[in-house]
Amino acid sequence: MISYLVDLGQLVAIFGLLAASLNLLVGYAGLFSVAHAVFFGLGAYTAAHLALAVSPDLLLGVLAAALLSGAASLVFALPALRVRGEYLVIASLGLQMLGSTVFTEAQGLTGGYGGLAGIPAPSLFGWTLESREALLAAALAILILAQFVINRLMRGSFGRSLMAIRDSESAAESLGKNVALIKTLAVALGSGLAGAAGALFAFQESFVNVESFTLDQSVLILAMVIIGGAGTLAGPLAGAALLLLLPAALSFIPHLPPTEIGAVQQLIYGLAMTLLMIFRPAGLLGRSEGGG
Amino acid sequence: MLLLQLLVNGLESGFLYALTAVGFALIFGATRIFHFAHGATYALAGYGFILGERLGLGPLASLGIALAAALGFGLFIEGAVYRPIERSRGAFFTLFVAAFGVVIAVQSLLELGFGRSYVVVSSPLSRAVSWNGLYIAPLFWISLCTALLLFGALALFLKLSPYGIALRALADSRFLIRTYGLSERRLARLAFALGSALTVPGAVLGALSTGLTPSVGAHIMLVSLTAAVVGGIGSMPGAALAGILLGLTETLAVDVLDTAWSEASGFVLLFLFILLRPQGIFGAELRR
Amino acid sequence: MPQSHAWPRRPLLAGIAALPLFAIRRARAEEPYVLGTLFPMAGPNAEYGTIFTAGAQMALAHIAEDKMLSRPIVLRAEDSQGTPQGGAVGMSKLVNVDHAIYVLVGFTGVSKAAAPIAARAKVILVNGGGVGPDLAGLSPYYWNVIPLAPDEIRTIVPYLASQNLRRLAFIYINDPFGNGVRQSLKAELAKVGGSVVIEDAILPTDQQFGAIAARIRDAKPDAVYFASYGAQQAEIIKQLRDSGITLPLVTYSGANIPSVETLPEAEGLVLTTQASALSSDDPVTQRFVRDWRAKYGTDPTAYNQNYYNAVRLFALLTASLEKAGKPVNGDTLRAELLARRRFPLVGGEGVFDDLCDISMKIVVNRVEKGKLVPLT
Repeated sequence: MISYLVDLGQLVAIFGLLAASLNLLVGYAGLFSVAHAVFFGLGAYTAAHLALAVSPDLLLGVLAAALLSGAASLVFALPALRVRGEYLVIASLGLQMLGSTVFTEAQGLTGGYGGLAGIPAPSLFGWTLESREALLAAALAILILAQFVINRLMRGSFGRSLMAIRDSESAAESLGKNVALIKTLAVALGSGLAGAAGALFAFQESFVNVESFTLDQSVLILAMVIIGGAGTLAGPLAGAALLLLLPAALSFIPHLPPTEIGAVQQLIYGLAMTLLMIFRPAGLLGRSEGGG
Repeated sequence: MLLLQLLVNGLESGFLYALTAVGFALIFGATRIFHFAHGATYALAGYGFILGERLGLGPLASLGIALAAALGFGLFIEGAVYRPIERSRGAFFTLFVAAFGVVIAVQSLLELGFGRSYVVVSSPLSRAVSWNGLYIAPLFWISLCTALLLFGALALFLKLSPYGIALRALADSRFLIRTYGLSERRLARLAFALGSALTVPGAVLGALSTGLTPSVGAHIMLVSLTAAVVGGIGSMPGAALAGILLGLTETLAVDVLDTAWSEASGFVLLFLFILLRPQGIFGAELRR
Repeated sequence: MPQSHAWPRRPLLAGIAALPLFAIRRARAEEPYVLGTLFPMAGPNAEYGTIFTAGAQMALAHIAEDKMLSRPIVLRAEDSQGTPQGGAVGMSKLVNVDHAIYVLVGFTGVSKAAAPIAARAKVILVNGGGVGPDLAGLSPYYWNVIPLAPDEIRTIVPYLASQNLRRLAFIYINDPFGNGVRQSLKAELAKVGGSVVIEDAILPTDQQFGAIAARIRDAKPDAVYFASYGAQQAEIIKQLRDSGITLPLVTYSGANIPSVETLPEAEGLVLTTQASALSSDDPVTQRFVRDWRAKYGTDPTAYNQNYYNAVRLFALLTASLEKAGKPVNGDTLRAELLARRRFPLVGGEGVFDDLCDISMKIVVNRVEKGKLVPLT
């Protein structure tokens, strides 16, 4: 039981980081995206390749993944500078579909559906993190560090500018803010953190393939942010925990015929999501009124 | 010859895409609700038709069931899900997640009710007939006629009926509608009813030709969204044209590019459109 | 971290032969053997989950009827959601919470994500559904009770050549399974002087095949071979036929599911399966087929058979371990499998190689009126 909880805990930490990184875009910058799984995937592939070919160093993998995903995020920054709202969602949808297809087709790099298997256990400062608990601790440490950085940034001038742009772009512009630069930086930071989460995911699963980086995954990450409460620090973590633990808890429902488990669990899951949004539209930890 | 054949195939799916996309655009234009569960309406309509056929009710009654399923679901989700959320906050993404939950629930219900496998209604209408080497199924002509007929009727309704005019006006200004004393609530229901009904022909033809699975709605949802945006959000002729364009792109990509890029090609087009012409084919600049 | 054995609570019991037999029985009867399933139970491939589970359940019924084992078996089902992540979470629960010692899986992505967890915990994973050649030897604890794709191609190509069908159109899913089929198909075709004249790589999510049909018609092949799975197979068959393609359609055992076989357009479809030998006279097969027909009113598919065999294999191995007084865990099961190699299973004798992969006789069938009719 403990080992199962540790495994779930790792996933919650990784997806908490992922949701927090998307929250930078959705909650603080007002840039809606359903392409976050692409950057998550880029990070995972980067770390997997490094671990398989160079060294399974955790920090190396996480940093390289963050850098690559952050750099690649320019493809999202481009439409984000031109359009807003529904248009941006749809642009990101296009980006996600494109990303999934590239992940599937570029088999030399990603292995396509076959994926990259046998990713070794990560090492940290020369120590191999063999046990699942050690990996959980590492993931938690990175999550806490990221939350700390996000918190500092959002309380500083960068965060204030970002939220000013979110609430009124023209007003921020007339105040002399460099809107394009601030938005691009926010996108790069959010995507970079998603890449870091991807690196952790690659080590956690020790197998990555395109099925983990699909539109469904992007939508799930977004749902974590919204359900937890966009624009709050702890909201995305709560959302990630709820959406990962709910299906796990549902799998403990006794006496379900094996052939019906999937459908019944999914039914409860879907209904819970809808009801939550009807009765707590701002999310679990969101303020009940105000922007977002 | 191959190109001509691909054009025919592309048009056939294009017409169906156009119908569902126009339904989506109609709902969005009138209510500003981004109806992510539109694909679920399509799935329910298709399975409604299959239910009728399984019960041996004949095609007309089955069509009736499909229509009832689509209308019932459209009005239900408007009243029970979107309306309460709109009233309290109306954030775009709250609606999105709520709709996403509904999509999952509908898919599970279909799996529980109809099993998880592929279902199709066998019919001679889907079998292609050779016209000097060009293979065209009777369904092609049916979808062509249905699409033209429905678009014509819709255009007339929006132009001539007071409700139609009000629906179009709603897209421009909610304020205006209120000052004229029309009920916004009533119009929203009308938009959901019409928009949901427009998924029925596509769903029924889908049940007859390509077949359905409980997860069929996802692809339809993506296509409707894309067409509605490429056409210019809120513009119905734009959505129709973009739907046809998407059908053609998907089909032609099989020959020009590679089959694996068929689905993605439409979205590449979409991405470029948003970068280069965000207002869409017909749309005026829309900012919130 | 020690999570290696499923029975940490009674490590001593198993080896103590001096205890009176009934005492062991009573003590053990309290703790059933836990078997797990990790199948997609919702979504596009859920039909397989249902089929796989039905096969395993019938085997459980037979094992209980025959009192093959001293303890009961319970089956714990987890929904893999068809994704690697879902597979990893489900596997972790089966291993760590349910303490399963033998888990049935069926798809590539899920298999690869579950295999490291199974290997760490020394839990046996058994595949009876996926046929991609990359599933061979994933780990010492990963077994295949289904012959992998190259075996099927080696059987079908000579048959096609004997029918003078040498120029093939080929549609395949661009994944390890599809690419494995592609490689074998080309190699085998070369041996009989045949070739692939046109090929289309598709995604598992593709639903429209009218355009591919047009391309195939243009290339004028002798037959169409397709390698796909799930609902997509029915879509391919229906749309090719609807588009006026009257060529023979050929595929592998993935089409051995009811939604494909009962499709009117599938009439005449040629496919390889392992010899299910519905007419075979060995008692194991006969009983399986008889009881299946009595319970479901249809003929069992190769998948029903495979997962029946997977569970039967567990019972056979465990029965001899019990008899020898050895504990039952991943290591002893594996040692026993490699020591015996040959097992009486449904469809005839199953023979396992060093990688713990089965080979069985493959036959060519044709779909006639919704049923498989063996041709070879």
